[in-house]
Amino acid sequence: MKEELRALKEKALSEVEKADSLESLKELRVKYLGRKGPMTEILRGMGKLPPDERPQIGQIANEIKSILEAEINKKTALWEQKALEDKLANEKVDISLTGRKHREGHLHPVTLTLREIKKIFMRMGFDVMEGPEIENDYYNFEALNLPQDHPARDMQDTFYITQEFLLRTQTSPVQVRTMQSREPNSPVRVIAPGTVYRCDYDATHSPMFHQVEGLLVDKNISLADLKGTLEMFLREMFGSSVKIRLRPSYFPFTEPSAEVDISCVICGGKGCRVCKNSGWLEILGSGMVHPNVLSMSGYNPEIMSGFAFGLGVERIAMLKYGIDDLRLFFENDLRFIRQFK
Amino acid sequence: MLASLDWLKQYVDINISVDELVEKITGIGLEVETVTYLGEGIEGVVTGKVTDIYRHPDSDHLWVCMMDYGQGIVQILTGAQNVHQNDIVPVAVVGSCLPNGMKLKKAKMRGLDSFGMLCSAEELGIDSKLLLPEQRNGIFILPSNTPIGMDIKDVLGLNDVVIDIDLTANRADCFSIIGLAREIAAVTGSRLKMPDFEVKETAGGNAADMAVIKIDAADLCSRFGVRILKDIRISPSPEWMQRRLRACGIRPISNVVDVTNYVMLELGQPMHAYDYDKVSGHTIIVRRAAEGEKLITLDGQERILNTSMITIADPEHAIGLGGVMGGLETEVTDNTVNVLLEAATFNGASIRRTSRALGLRSEASGRFERGVDTVLNHNALNRAANLLENMGSCTTVAGIVEAYPKKIELPLIKITTKQINDRIGIEISKEEMIKTLTDLDFKVEDEGSALVITVPSWRNDITCGADISEEIARMHGLEHIKSHLPVLSLTQGYQAVIEDVKDDIQDYMIGEGMSEVMTYSFINPQYFDMLRLPKDDKRRRCIDLLNPITDDFKVMRTTMAASLLNAAAYNLARQQSSVEIFEIGRVYLPDALPLKEFPEERSVLCALMGGKRNDLNWCECRDSFDFYDMKGIVEGLLSRMQMNSYELKLCTVPYLHPGKSCSILIDGEIAGWFGEVHPQVQESFGLNQEVYLLEIDIKPLISTAVAVPHYHHLPKYPSMSRDISVVVPAEVTNAELEHVIREHGGKYLMDVRIFDVYTGKQVASGCKSMAFNLTYQADDRTLTDTEVDASIKEVIAGVGEEYKAMLRA
Repeated sequence: MKEELRALKEKALSEVEKADSLESLKELRVKYLGRKGPMTEILRGMGKLPPDERPQIGQIANEIKSILEAEINKKTALWEQKALEDKLANEKVDISLTGRKHREGHLHPVTLTLREIKKIFMRMGFDVMEGPEIENDYYNFEALNLPQDHPARDMQDTFYITQEFLLRTQTSPVQVRTMQSREPNSPVRVIAPGTVYRCDYDATHSPMFHQVEGLLVDKNISLADLKGTLEMFLREMFGSSVKIRLRPSYFPFTEPSAEVDISCVICGGKGCRVCKNSGWLEILGSGMVHPNVLSMSGYNPEIMSGFAFGLGVERIAMLKYGIDDLRLFFENDLRFIRQFK
Repeated sequence: MLASLDWLKQYVDINISVDELVEKITGIGLEVETVTYLGEGIEGVVTGKVTDIYRHPDSDHLWVCMMDYGQGIVQILTGAQNVHQNDIVPVAVVGSCLPNGMKLKKAKMRGLDSFGMLCSAEELGIDSKLLLPEQRNGIFILPSNTPIGMDIKDVLGLNDVVIDIDLTANRADCFSIIGLAREIAAVTGSRLKMPDFEVKETAGGNAADMAVIKIDAADLCSRFGVRILKDIRISPSPEWMQRRLRACGIRPISNVVDVTNYVMLELGQPMHAYDYDKVSGHTIIVRRAAEGEKLITLDGQERILNTSMITIADPEHAIGLGGVMGGLETEVTDNTVNVLLEAATFNGASIRRTSRALGLRSEASGRFERGVDTVLNHNALNRAANLLENMGSCTTVAGIVEAYPKKIELPLIKITTKQINDRIGIEISKEEMIKTLTDLDFKVEDEGSALVITVPSWRNDITCGADISEEIARMHGLEHIKSHLPVLSLTQGYQAVIEDVKDDIQDYMIGEGMSEVMTYSFINPQYFDMLRLPKDDKRRRCIDLLNPITDDFKVMRTTMAASLLNAAAYNLARQQSSVEIFEIGRVYLPDALPLKEFPEERSVLCALMGGKRNDLNWCECRDSFDFYDMKGIVEGLLSRMQMNSYELKLCTVPYLHPGKSCSILIDGEIAGWFGEVHPQVQESFGLNQEVYLLEIDIKPLISTAVAVPHYHHLPKYPSMSRDISVVVPAEVTNAELEHVIREHGGKYLMDVRIFDVYTGKQVASGCKSMAFNLTYQADDRTLTDTEVDASIKEVIAGVGEEYKAMLRA
C-alpha cells in the first residue's frame, strides 16, 4: 500500500507539474483530492490493513494529500498571476486622451485681490465694514472735511442723483458711518471694501471701480504707526522685498497726508515702462485722520488720534497679475477671467 | 502748474541738478508730473541776417537767401514766403541739429546748393499755440535788434527747463513762481529774493482823484485795488517775457495783457486791465449780478448772469465777471490810452460756481478757487506798473485806489512740541521746529511749554495744530520717520455674516463651473424695454443719474438680468461655445422718487448659463444646457445654504419663458426666480441660443446658511428599495406625484427618487410614464419583503385612485 501511495504521489505531482491552465489545475484538484478521487479510495481500503500499520499509512496519505494540495495551490497562484498579467497587458488605455471633467469656474481678479486684502487686514485685527454706494453729500464730503465749494471736490468727479444724493466717490464715508455708530472715543480698527464711482471714462479710468478704506483710531496713534501698518500690509501683498516710500500729499480728511509708493514690482526699482522709469509705483493715499473729521463724528481729537488710508483694488490687481489694461476688468471676457485662480 | 527753472532761479539760488531738485520738492509734497528740457536736440542753430534775397531762377516759390550768421555768409534756399531783406531769423547751417533728430546736410534744390535751412518756430519745438499770430506761419522772424550769430537757445529761452507740478488743492500759495521759490529756498537752505516793486509814478496827478472803487458785496470780494497807467503804448512784450510766458504755457498777446499774466504767474495774483476811458464815471462797483443781467465777455459771447455771480460794473452796467473773465466793451485795444489795472481778491466758492456755470475755467479762476492771498494786492499792482514802466510802455499815476472793507487778521496757532511729535511719531527738537517754520516765513514765539505760531497770509491751508505737524513732518522728510506697529490689544477681525455667506456662494458657484463677472451698476434704461417690462413694472422705478457719461450708464439698475445678458452676448460673440457666469451685485430700489431717503441696496446673486454643457471632448456629450442644469445649480445652492423649506412655483417674470421658469419662495415670500430667458429678450440682447437665468436675493438665505448642521446617527439596519413605474396624465407634475407616493408610502418610506420620464410608443397619448425608486428603512430592525411589498401595493393603489394611473412594471 505504501508503494501504491508513492506511485500515486509521483503520478499526481507530474500531472500537476505539466498542468498548463487554471482549468486543468482545477480538474487535477478534483481528480486527486476530491471525494471520489484515488486517494479517498486508497484510504477507504485502509480498513483491510493490520491495525498497527493503519496510523503509519494514514500519516503518509495525509502527508501526500497536503503536499499535493500545496503544489496545486502554488501552481494555481502562478497561473492566476499569469492570467492577471495577461489581462492587464490587454487593458492598456491611451493616457494622452483628455480626461472627463467638470468645468472649472473662476473668481474675478478683483474679488481675488479683495479677498487677499481682507485676509491680511483681518489677521491684523481689522473688522470689515460695508456701506451704501448711494451716499449723501454729508457722508461723502461734508463730514470728511470737504464743505460745499471746496476746491478739492474737483479731485473727484462725482455722479449726482439729486442735490443731496450721489454715488459715493470713495469708501471714506464708511469711516464716518463707523465712528458715528460707535460709543464716542472707543477704539476703531476697520477696513471698508467697496464699489465707488467717478465721472471719468477713458483708457485709464473706469466710472466704477473698487476701493478699500482703512481706519484705525485709538490713543497715541501716530504717522509712524501708519507707516508700519502699511509696510506690513504691502509686504504681505507684494512680497517681503518690497520697499515703501511716503510722499507728503493732500487729502481734506487727513492731516498730515501722504501718498504711498512701493518699489516697482515689475522692474524691482530699476526703472521701466510701468513705473515711468521712476522705480516707484503710487499705490495708495493715507494720512492722520483730520481733527475736524474726528470731532464731526463725536470723537475728541485731544484724546483720540488715528490714521486712515484708501487703496484702489484694480490698481493692486493690475500690479499683482501684470494686467496692462483697466478696461479688461469690466469687459467680462471669459478668456480674461478664466486666467485667474 | 508749469514752472520755468530760469524764472525760479531769479528768486532763489538753485545749486543742485534738476533731478535732485525734483527729488527734493517731491519730498515736501510738490509732485512733479514731468520735466521738459526745452530746445532738447537743438545744436548749432544760430541767429542770422538776410543780407540778400532773390527768387530762385528755376522755381516760382523758392527763395535764395544770403545769410550772415556771424561766422561768414552762406547761401540757403527757403520755400517760406515771409522772409525779407534784413530780417533776423534762426539759421540751421550744415552740421546743426533740430529737435526732431534731423542733422542738416548740404542740399541741392533745382540746381542750386543750400547750406542749411531757415527755421520756423515749430521746427524749433515751440508749440504754435503759444505764439503770436504773425509768428505762427513761415520762418520765425526775430526782433530786429537781435544780435547775429547768437545761439538760438539763448535767444528764445530754449535752454530753460520746465517743471510741471501737480499741485494739491490746498497749496494755493504754490500756484506761483514766488511760492515755489519759497518752498525751494526752505528745502535747500537758500534764501528767497523778492521781485522789484518800485514804481516811479511820473504821470502826475493822484489816482485817488481819478477813480472810485466801491464793494457792494463784501462777502464775494474782500479787496479790490487799482492803479492808473497813462500814455500806454500797446506793442508786443519783450522776448524775455514772451519766452517765460510760453514756458509756462501762456500765449503772449501784447505788453499790457502779458504783464497781467506775468504778474499772476510770478506772484499768484490774477489781474485785469480795463480801458480807463471806457469805464463810465471812472467808477467801479463790485456787486452781485442782477438776475438775467447780460454781459458780452472778452471772447465775444453774451453771458446771462445770476445773483450768485460777482460782477464788476461801472455806474451804468456790468463791465466784467470778477475773477472769471473781463467784458469786451472795456477791453484794452491798440487805441487804448489809459489803463485801469485791477488786482482783487474774490470769494473762491463763488468763482468756482460761476466758472462752472459758464464753462469758463481759466488760470485766474483756478487761482481764485484755491484762494488768493489778500495781502498780495499792492505788490501785484506795483510789480505790474514797475514792469510796464521799465518796458517804456506807460507812465504811472501816483497812488493806489482800493476798497478793502475788512482787513484780514493772520491766524495764531498754539501747539506744543509734544503734540507735534506725538502726531508724527518722532522726536524733533523745539529748535529744529522753530527753524523749519521760520524758513517757511511763519512767525514763531516760544512760550516755553508751547509755540505760538503766526501763519503767513498766503498759507490759507494752515488752520490748526495738525497742519503745523504736517509742515514739520514734510520738511523733516517722511522717509526719516521710523515705522512702528501700533501697540493695541490683540483681536481677530470679522466681517458681517452676509459677507461670509456671499464668499461661500461665490465658492459654490465656481465649484459648479460658473465664472464671476463684474458689471456696471448703472444701465441703459432702454434695457427695461428689451426685458419686456410692462409700463407699470416696479423695476422701471429706478434712480437716474443727473450727469451720466453715456446713455449706457444712465440709471441705477433694479435688476441684474440685463447686465448678465450683455456679458453673455459679449462672450458668445467671441467664439465661446458656452457661457456660465454669475455675479453677486447690488440692485438699487428707491422708496420715493426723486430720492428723499437712502434707497434699498439689495444684494442679489445673478447667474446665467447657455451653450454647450461640456467642452468638446471625445468622451463627453455635446448637449446644450437646459432648464434642469440651472435647476440643479439652484437646488445645489439652496442645499449648500441648508435651505430645506422652499417652494418652487411657475412664475410670470416678463423676461423669462412662461413655461420654463419658476419663482423660488422662501417662507412664502418670493426670493428669486430662474428659468429660460424669453425668446424675444434673447433676441433683443443679440443672443441666438437659449440661455438660462437665475436671480435670487442673498438676505433670505443667511439665517439657514449659518446654522450649524445637526448630526443624525447612521442607519444600523439595511434599507430596501423597489422601483415602480406609473402611467399618468401628461399634466401631472413630478412634485404632485411624489407627494401622493409619500402620502401612501407609510412611515418606513424614506426616499423617493424619479429616475425616468417617458412618453412614446408604449404610452397612450396624453399620458406619460414615470419611474420612481422607493427606499424603505426602519430604525430598529431589518424590514421584511412582506412589509415593503404591502407598502408598494398601498402606493400603487393610492396613485391609481388619484390619477387613474396604471402600473407599468
